[in-house]
Amino acid sequence: MSSSGYGQKEKVLSRIAATRLQKELTEWQVNPPCGFEHKVTESLQRWIIEVHGAPGTLYEGETFHLQVDFPEHYPMEAPVVIFMQIPPLHPHIYSNGHICLDILYDSWSPAMTVSSICISILSMLSSSTVKARPPDDDRYVRNCRNGRSPKETRWWFHDDKV
Amino acid sequence: MAREVATPEKQAELLKDQGNLYFKKERLGAAIEAYTEAITLCPKVPVYWTNRALCHRKRNAWDLVEADCRKALELDNSSTKAHYMLGLALLQGKRYSDAIAELEKALELGRSGKSGSYMVEEIWQELAKARYSEWEQAASVRQHQQQELKEAQLLANERKMSELSNCNEKYQERLQTLSDVFEKASAPDRPAEVPDHFCCKITMDLFRDPVITPSGVTYERSALLEHLRKVGNFDPLTRTPLTPEQVFPNLALKEAVQAFLAEHGWAYKTY
Repeated sequence: MSSSGYGQKEKVLSRIAATRLQKELTEWQVNPPCGFEHKVTESLQRWIIEVHGAPGTLYEGETFHLQVDFPEHYPMEAPVVIFMQIPPLHPHIYSNGHICLDILYDSWSPAMTVSSICISILSMLSSSTVKARPPDDDRYVRNCRNGRSPKETRWWFHDDKV
Repeated sequence: MAREVATPEKQAELLKDQGNLYFKKERLGAAIEAYTEAITLCPKVPVYWTNRALCHRKRNAWDLVEADCRKALELDNSSTKAHYMLGLALLQGKRYSDAIAELEKALELGRSGKSGSYMVEEIWQELAKARYSEWEQAASVRQHQQQELKEAQLLANERKMSELSNCNEKYQERLQTLSDVFEKASAPDRPAEVPDHFCCKITMDLFRDPVITPSGVTYERSALLEHLRKVGNFDPLTRTPLTPEQVFPNLALKEAVQAFLAEHGWAYKTY
């Protein structure tokens, strides 16, 4: 199964999106969020980011990878953010890498950045008290088998407390 | 049966339509011929001139673009397209200040008219390019002048120093001061980062038309309006409810950005 595209048409970034991403990348290089590392890829439109579990949390010493795909009209639309294999064991992270986090979907705001998304994801990991998949993992992952994007899911957000 | 004889005006219109068709098919030679015939029939219609200029532009025949646009402007000085393409032609000829004047006029007309934001965006891009080039040229002249001045000064100082070798320390100090002065004088011309407070939190680019929300946050007008239309009726940063009627121009910031740009022409650089 290909991890890319979700069957959607690959649209080039709008000029506004490209300008903004260029600035975000420059800013990231000067001042990266703590615990993250941007892996250089050939395209501005897909970022691969290494995530290090924070010390003193359940994920200390573990390393994960996020794949961030930007839509044509970023930042008016949220990027598609998923964990690559193998995603962390977490009650809001499905085994196919999809993340149940409101800011990635309904609560997106164009004032957010890749950097602020990363910080939210790390804080979600850090506040976890149990290493487990969401209770509906099997069903959800089965429903996504045709390569559905997490953005097409009707998310029903779990509470903030994990 | 008597067929109605087409008036020259009607014939010219038909020729223009034909030209437009050729233009769409990228048959520029044929399009130019059609527009030229239309112009011969009715030389007082500005659109025939601007349409032909558009063909010349595609062929990079900038002298012809300039001539046609000037003719169109003689007939109608409020043609956004004519000012815009004339600006482009002047930019090609490195006549920056004239190009800037034309593009500014085009931007003003484009903003007030109904040509749509797409055209305005395009004009802005070209205007930024022209301003950047103008700055680049002026900055290199300034750099050259300062370099010459600096060398002349250093030479004079060295001569003095050899005359008064006992005052060595004092002259060393002066030399340092002198090089500091030159350093400071050239600072505004050195490209650097644009300060964050001059950039929109959505576009991350310099403000052009900043508007302020009741939360006190300033955004680029077009980006904020697009957000309200597409994402939702809330302030992107504070998430408090927000509607388009609640935003006002932030004139002080707009002036501050303009003052910054006047000093730091490198900031016009577009990606």
